[in-house]
Amino acid sequence: MNITYSLIGVIGTLVVAFIVSLLLPGIERKFIHARIQQRVGPPITSPGVMAPLKFFFKQTIDPNSPMPKLYNALPLISLIVVLILLVILIPEMYFLGAFASVIAIIGFLKVEEIMYMFMGSLSKSVLSVRMPFPDMAKGAKHPETPRTFVEELSALRAFRLIAFGSFPIYIALFVSVAVTGSIYLSDIVAYQQQNGPILFTVAGILGAVVFFIGYMILLNEYPFAILKTKADVIEGPYLEYAAKYRSYVYLTRGFLMFVLASLFATLFLGIAPNILNPSFIITLVVALLFPMLMAVMSAFSPIFTYKQFYPTVAAVSILGVLAIVAAFL
Amino acid sequence: MDDDKEKQTVIEAEIPMGTVHPAALEPYRVRLFVEDEIVRDAEITVGVNHRGVERIMEGLPVEKANSLTEKICGICSNSHIWNSCLVAEKALDIEVPERAQYIRIIMEEMERLHSHFLYLAHGNEVLGHETFAMRLFYIRETVMDLLGMIGGNRVQYGAPILGGVRPRCELDDKRIQKLKDGMDLMEERLAAFADRFVSDPMVMSRITDVGVISQKDALRLACTGPTLRATGVESDLRTEMKEYDPFEFDVITQDGGDVKAQLLTRVFENLESIKIIRQAIRDLPDGPITNRSWEMKDTPLTKSYIEVPRGTLYHSYALEDGRVRHCVIRTPSMANIGAMQHACIGHHITDAQLSIVQCDPCFTCTDRAIQIIKI
Repeated sequence: MNITYSLIGVIGTLVVAFIVSLLLPGIERKFIHARIQQRVGPPITSPGVMAPLKFFFKQTIDPNSPMPKLYNALPLISLIVVLILLVILIPEMYFLGAFASVIAIIGFLKVEEIMYMFMGSLSKSVLSVRMPFPDMAKGAKHPETPRTFVEELSALRAFRLIAFGSFPIYIALFVSVAVTGSIYLSDIVAYQQQNGPILFTVAGILGAVVFFIGYMILLNEYPFAILKTKADVIEGPYLEYAAKYRSYVYLTRGFLMFVLASLFATLFLGIAPNILNPSFIITLVVALLFPMLMAVMSAFSPIFTYKQFYPTVAAVSILGVLAIVAAFL
Repeated sequence: MDDDKEKQTVIEAEIPMGTVHPAALEPYRVRLFVEDEIVRDAEITVGVNHRGVERIMEGLPVEKANSLTEKICGICSNSHIWNSCLVAEKALDIEVPERAQYIRIIMEEMERLHSHFLYLAHGNEVLGHETFAMRLFYIRETVMDLLGMIGGNRVQYGAPILGGVRPRCELDDKRIQKLKDGMDLMEERLAAFADRFVSDPMVMSRITDVGVISQKDALRLACTGPTLRATGVESDLRTEMKEYDPFEFDVITQDGGDVKAQLLTRVFENLESIKIIRQAIRDLPDGPITNRSWEMKDTPLTKSYIEVPRGTLYHSYALEDGRVRHCVIRTPSMANIGAMQHACIGHHITDAQLSIVQCDPCFTCTDRAIQIIKI
């Protein structure tokens, strides 16, 4: 009975998460971006449901990559990593011990981030192809200069994101650890059920702000979208994904939006995602609120270059450190 | 010595962008030579959309040739046909009725309005601020509708003809009232946008001291139009055009020569254009709008320069048996290409497109009109 109950909990949560995550990009674009920009916007199902569905039936075009199979496999690996992230958040999986801990979550998020680096470095799109004239002709400017691809540039940026950009979200994860004194999700949830949500403490409020900025950076959303800037690297690591592989990219992003919101609900509200728990509705509300807030922020800001990105990340990281200090006080 | 200097410039990699790139509205090619994402040198190549309009115009009857010039550019179509008409009118001594001159000015200034709004919207889109871009397109709709109302078409309105303007473009009381209302609405919305724009710290951080073109460089690189005025040079051909004599307006200049100065120059120029249109509506003289009493004759090469939204536009041709000969057209973007390349240098690669866009390029019309000379 217990096993059946747990299975229903895990599978049911995954199914609901999947359905909600399909609608999140549509909600973001239709109800927030379009309303702010005084336009009709796309149908709510268009970005999250219909676009991936359409891409599934498109002809697959082989990418211009040194390792095309690996390149094409990366979005699927990303999707699996995000799925695992959600699975370990579900209380029924807390028996996994160290796998259901903040350290494991950080590890899986790092894998997700590293994927962008691989994607970028394995892609060589036609957009950066050199022309025989005038690039290499006699009299051309700097004819011997080695050429680089816009995707390689995005891989370099992904590296910087791993090294620096993702500080806020990892610091925010440790706010809960500092408050509860445990890295295990089960302890963090149990602590909040006894003492109330961490969100309603000074450390929690600061941590939530830092987590939200980290959430936007991890999702490469404006203004922090340094990986896929239309002005230079365009789609960046995703540039050459076509057909079902692009579909996986869309599905992963929607799912990551839901998973990160669930992570916030777990760490800052003490509500782990479980369909059999009535408070799962709060997880859904958080999952809806986060993309909405993100859409409002992105609609009112230009895209950042390093000049704005580094100081912002540094300031938010300092705020995160203050949150941890406040947790100890 | 020069070789030694060149060797000292460290260029790690080249990033070719285009001829097709999502950030570029038109087909052109940029080669960015970078060192750790900082642009050390840049090269812009145009010519991929060459249609040889000048060659097609050769041998056409002048009226047909004039109509063809309108197809050079979708944004400043009126400027081309107006300047082309001015060449023939100057050559054939055709006197244009005063009322027609006023209507031509109204159309030209409305074109400046919509061109500058498009420029501002595109600039914001490249900045990544889609909301501002959408807002500007929304404000622009008013002028597009007014152009459609007068010319019968929102883009290619073809108002000027030899000796005046088309009968379709006559302004009756109803149209004049709509123009007045439209100007009031646009002025109010533009002022509100400008307030919001300059008070946004994130936007200001992105555009201040980015893509800087100094006054000295702007003059050295022979920049023209608002691109030159944004560096502090008071240069506007409208002050020398007799068609603009009845109107009072200020030549807008900005200091700095950065993206902020370029964008603000266009914002304030739009307010000046609204001022000119209001004066034209207020003082619109009565009378005919076309002078048909002129005779065709052979003429030598005649030149005409006018100030269009992007700068100085040059048209010249001779007439032989009523047909166009030796046609040459030079669009303002041609003069600004040097500045675009220069503006990218020393800035982050993400700002490269912005540095190019700040000069308001219209490469497609440059390509169409450019004359290929065999060496």
